[in-house]
Amino acid sequence: MDTKYIDFKLTDNILYLGFGKETKKSMTVLDEPTLTELKTVLDEATRIQNDLKAVIFYSLKKNVFLAGADISLIDSLTEESEASEGAAKGQELYNIIEDLSATTIACVDGPCLGGGLELALSCDHIICSDSSKTVLGLPEVKLGILPGFGGTYRLPKKVGLPNSLDMILSGKMLSPRKAKKLGLVVDSYPKEKLLDAARIILNQKIKDKSSFSESLQSFAMENALGRKIVFQKARESVLKLTKGQYEAPLKILDLMEKHTGSSRSTYLRKEAESFGELCVGAQSKNLRHIFFMMEQSKKSPFENIKSKTLKSGAVLGAGTMGGGIAWLMADNGMPTIMKDLNNEALELGYKQASSNFRQSLKRKKITQEGFQKKQRLIIGQTDYKGFGNVDLIIEAIIENMDIKKSVFSELEKNVDEKCLITSNTSSLSINEMSKALEKPDRFAGLHFFNPVNKMPLVEIIKHDNVSDETLASLHQWVVKSKKTPVIVGDGPGFLVNRILMPYLNEAGYLLTEGVSIKDLDDACLKFGMPMGPCRLLDEIGIDVADKVAQIMFEGLGDRAKDSGQAKSMIEKNFLGKKTGKGFYLYDEKGKVQGINPEVEQMLPTSKTMDRKEIQMRVVLPMINEACYILDEKIVNSADQVDLGLIFGIGFPPFRGGLCKYADEEGLDRLYTAINGFSESISKDRYSASPFFTSLVKEKKKFYDL
Amino acid sequence: MELNEVFIVGANRTPQAKAGTELKDVPVPHLGINLVRKLIGDNSIPTDKVDEVIFGNTGAPAKYTNIGRIIALESGLHKKTSAHTVHRNCASGMEAIYQGQLKIAAGEADVVVVGGIESMSQMPLIYSKEMTNLFAKLMRARSVGDKLKIISSFRPPYLSPVIAIEQGLTDPFCGLNMGQTAEILSREFDITRDMQDTFALESHKKALQAIEEGRFEAEIAPVLVGKNLDKIMNKDSGPRVDCSLEKLQKLKPYFDRKTGSVTVGNACPITDGGSAMLLASKQAVEKYNLSPLGKLTRVDFAGLEPERMGMGPLVAIDKVLSKTGMEISDFDIVEINEAFAAQVIAVQHALDDLSEAKRFGVEKAWGKISDDKLNVNGGGIALGHPVGSTGCRIAVTAIHELIRRQGKYALASLCIGGGQGGACIIERI
Repeated sequence: MDTKYIDFKLTDNILYLGFGKETKKSMTVLDEPTLTELKTVLDEATRIQNDLKAVIFYSLKKNVFLAGADISLIDSLTEESEASEGAAKGQELYNIIEDLSATTIACVDGPCLGGGLELALSCDHIICSDSSKTVLGLPEVKLGILPGFGGTYRLPKKVGLPNSLDMILSGKMLSPRKAKKLGLVVDSYPKEKLLDAARIILNQKIKDKSSFSESLQSFAMENALGRKIVFQKARESVLKLTKGQYEAPLKILDLMEKHTGSSRSTYLRKEAESFGELCVGAQSKNLRHIFFMMEQSKKSPFENIKSKTLKSGAVLGAGTMGGGIAWLMADNGMPTIMKDLNNEALELGYKQASSNFRQSLKRKKITQEGFQKKQRLIIGQTDYKGFGNVDLIIEAIIENMDIKKSVFSELEKNVDEKCLITSNTSSLSINEMSKALEKPDRFAGLHFFNPVNKMPLVEIIKHDNVSDETLASLHQWVVKSKKTPVIVGDGPGFLVNRILMPYLNEAGYLLTEGVSIKDLDDACLKFGMPMGPCRLLDEIGIDVADKVAQIMFEGLGDRAKDSGQAKSMIEKNFLGKKTGKGFYLYDEKGKVQGINPEVEQMLPTSKTMDRKEIQMRVVLPMINEACYILDEKIVNSADQVDLGLIFGIGFPPFRGGLCKYADEEGLDRLYTAINGFSESISKDRYSASPFFTSLVKEKKKFYDL
Repeated sequence: MELNEVFIVGANRTPQAKAGTELKDVPVPHLGINLVRKLIGDNSIPTDKVDEVIFGNTGAPAKYTNIGRIIALESGLHKKTSAHTVHRNCASGMEAIYQGQLKIAAGEADVVVVGGIESMSQMPLIYSKEMTNLFAKLMRARSVGDKLKIISSFRPPYLSPVIAIEQGLTDPFCGLNMGQTAEILSREFDITRDMQDTFALESHKKALQAIEEGRFEAEIAPVLVGKNLDKIMNKDSGPRVDCSLEKLQKLKPYFDRKTGSVTVGNACPITDGGSAMLLASKQAVEKYNLSPLGKLTRVDFAGLEPERMGMGPLVAIDKVLSKTGMEISDFDIVEINEAFAAQVIAVQHALDDLSEAKRFGVEKAWGKISDDKLNVNGGGIALGHPVGSTGCRIAVTAIHELIRRQGKYALASLCIGGGQGGACIIERI
C-alpha cells in the first residue's frame, strides 16, 4: 500500500504500521494528514483482517512513538460541536483498532502521550522500550482539556480506577518501570528488540497476573459504594490542589463518575461532548496559550548566532540566592565553584543547596548517591583559584553598586576571556554595572527568583554593550537548566518585579484605608494568585521589599510611591517569615500560625470592600505598568509579559497571563475603571499611561501588537 | 635513554580523620574526586588533556573496581582519559607517583594525576570461608530439596565475620601483625616504652602547632561532611590537644600484652583520607603556562624481611641516595611515615650506625637526620595513616613544607607492610 505518513508493511501475516515516516518534525504528532491516513490503513487492515495474525504499531523514528495530538489542530477548533465531532472521529478510528480480530500490539519507544497513549490503549497489548526517553501518560488536563479519544474509557480497564484517576487528573507521565508496575505495559525491552519482543508475545498467552490486593480492588470498584469513595477522595484532593479554579479536572471527575459502566458507544459520546465543552472554553485556550509560549521560550531568539555551551560555573556569594543558584548548577551536573569571604558564609550556601537537594530526595527525584555526587560538585572556596576554567559566573553578593563594580573588575582579571559574567541583581542597573568590565560584551543580568528550586523564571537582562552571542549562550543554558528564560531590557525592577511593585504597593494603601489583611489576601487568592500580597511580603521580607520599593520610586517617580506602611513594621522588627513575625505569625518551621494581631492593631479599623473592587485596585496598576513596560520596550510583546508573570510570580495560569486577562476583560472597560480610580483614589497611581490610552483609542488589544 | 624532567605542578590532600569519625560516610571515590577537580581547575588544564590518572588504594568496597577510573570520570575529565589503580600496600600512593613519573620521564605522557585514597572506615567485613562455601553451594543447587539440605548445614558461627582490615594488617608470609613487627624492632634496638611515648607526644605537639599556624592550609582541600553535607571539614582531626605523657603511659601494650611496648598511642591510628599530585612534562608546563612547585627527582622501592618491615625506609633511603649520589645532609626536610614510633626511631638509629645498617644489607652509615628536619609538622601517629594515601600524602606535605622553608630538597619515605620501603626525592624550583 502506498502511504506517506504511516509505513504499511505486511510480512508473514503480520501487519506492521510504523509512525513517523517521512516527516521533518523531531516529534511525531497526530496531525490531520496522519489521522486521515490512519483511517485508510485501518480500513485496509479491517478488509484483510481474516488473513492477519497480528497488527503491530511502532515508530520508524527513534525516541518518539507519538507525542499526542497536534495542539495547533486542537487550537483550530472553535465551535463546541466541531470539537466534539473531532473527538468522535478519533474515537471511531481507535474503535476500529479495538475491534480488529487480529491481535494488536503497540511497541512504544520514546514519548507516548495523550492521543498516542489512547491509540496504544486500544490495542490488546502495549510493550515499551526501557529507554530513559520512554514516558507514557495522558497530560491533557494540563492543557485544560481531557483525553477525548477514549482515554478516560480505556485506561481504567488497564490499570484500575484509582490509578487511572491519578494519571488523568494529574497528567503525570510514567517511566517504563512504573508503567509495568501498574500493568499499563506488559513489559519493557531494549528498544532495538521491541519488534522481536512483540513477535514473541504473539506466541505467548499473556497471563492475567492480578494479585490478591488487585482482585480485592477490582471487587471494590465493581460496586457502587467502593466507586463512590474513590471518586470522593479524588474530588477532595483536586479541590484542595486547584481551589476549584480549574474546570478540566472537575469535568473529568463528572464524566468518569457518571458514566463508568455505560456501554462503549454511550460513554464515548459523553467523553466527546465533555471534550468539546472544555476545548472551546477560555481556560483551555489560556492554558494552551501558555504551552505555546513555553515552547516558544525554549527556542533561541537568535537564530543565526552560535551559542557557547556553558559547562562549568561559579557563584559569587553564598547567601540564599547564591546557594540556590549553586544548587541549580550542581543539580544539572555542572561542576560549580561557590565563593564567599569565609567558611561560615560558605556553609550557609551549602545549607541552602543541601536543603533543596533533600526536598528532591524526599520526593524521590534523586537518590542518596545522587545527592552525595551533586552536593559535592559544589566546591566552596574563598579565593579565585580554578576560575580560569569556568564558563559562567553568576554574582549574587550584596545589593550595592560600588561593591559589585569593584568585584567585577577584580573578577575579570581571574577569568578566561571567553567566560560569561552575570549578575543576579534584582534592582540595580545592569547598564551601570557593565561599565566596571573591560569586556562588557560578555556581561548580562541573570535574575533568578526565590526560591530558586521552585521558581521557573529567569530574566536575562540586556544592556547597551552586550553581545548577541552572550545572550544566546545564556538563553541556551537557562533552557538546559530546565528553567524558563525571558530576555528583558534594563530598567528598575526589570520585568517581573516592576509589575509586582504596584501589586504590593497598592496592598499597603488598601491596608491603610482600612481593608483587613484577611479580606485583602483572600480577594487576591480568589483571583487566583498563589499568595495574597501580605503573605508574599512576609515571604520576601518587609525590609527587602521596602528597599526595592525605594529604588522603584527613584526610578519611576510618584506612581511608584509606597504607602509608608512598611516603615512602621520594620521599626518593630516585623520583617516577615525570617523573623517569625510579619503580617502573619510563623512557627519555627516557617508555617503560618495566623494573622499577627500586633500588626492588625497598628492598622485602622476595618472597612469592608467588595472583593471585585479589591481585585481591581491591585490588578489595574499592574496592567498600567505593563503598558509602560511595552512602551519602553523592556520586552517587545504581551506574551513575554505574560510568560514572565506566570513563571515569575505565579500569576494564575488559567487566566493566560496579565495581558491576556486584560484583553479578555476588555481594555476599554478597564480603561474606564482606572480613570475612575484616578478620580476617586489617586491621580499619581491610577493615571492611565499614554500607551494604555492609545491602545484604547485605536481599539487594539495587547495581543494585537 | 635521555629521561624527561617530571614537574610537580600541584599537590593537595583532604583533611585526615580517624576511621569511624568525620569522614566515615564519604563515598570512597569522593576522597579523590575533588582533589583532581581542584588540581585541574586551579591550573586551568583542559579536561581532555590529562593522559593518565593513577590512584593508590588497598581496600575499597567491591563496587569500586578500578577506583582510579571512577575518580577520573567523576571529576569531569574526558571519558577518553586512561586511568588505573595501583596497590603497593602502605606505599600505594607513592607507587602512583612512581608510575606517573615513569610515564612522563619516558615521554609516554605529558599530564598525569597521581594520588592515593583510603577509607578504612569502609573496608569490608567478609563472610567466613564456611559461609562463603555455603552460599556457593546454594547457588549451584537445583532442586528445593538440595537447597534445604544445604541450608540445614548452616551453623551460627559461620556468621562471625572476617574483618578485612585486620587481615590486611597481618603479613601472610611471616604471620605477624604489623604491630608485632614493631615489637621486634623495639626489642632488638632496645627502644623503651618511654622513648616511643615521648616520640608520639612530640608528633601530636608538632601537628597541633602546624594546624594552629595554618601550615596545612595550602595543601588541604576541604571535604563536605555531616549528614546533610553542609559542614566544611578543612583540618585534620587526629592530633589531640589533651595528649600527654601520663595519658600515653597509661595505655596497655596492644600487640604483646605482657612484655610489649607498642600501644595504640605510639602507633598510627587507622584513618580515612586522600591525596593527589599533578605531574607534568616540560612541554606541558610551557604549553599550559604552568607554575610548578617542584621537580620529582627520583622514586625508589627496596625490600627486606617482612618481620622487620618497619626498617623499610632504611633500605629505600639507602637505595635512592646511592642512585642519586646525594647525602642526608642535602635535605632541608625529611618525612618518614610514622607507622609506629618504634620503627621510626629504629630507622633513625640504623641510618647513623653502620653495624646496625649492615644487618639490613646497607653498607653505609648515612648519618643522623636532625630533629628540626624530620616530620616537622607531625606524622602518622598524630595525623593518621590512610594506607593507600600516605605514600602520596607525605610527599604532598613535604613539598609544601619545602616551599615554606624555601629549601632545595625534600625526602619522603615510608615502610611497607610485607617488608619493603619506599622513598622519593623532590626538588623545589
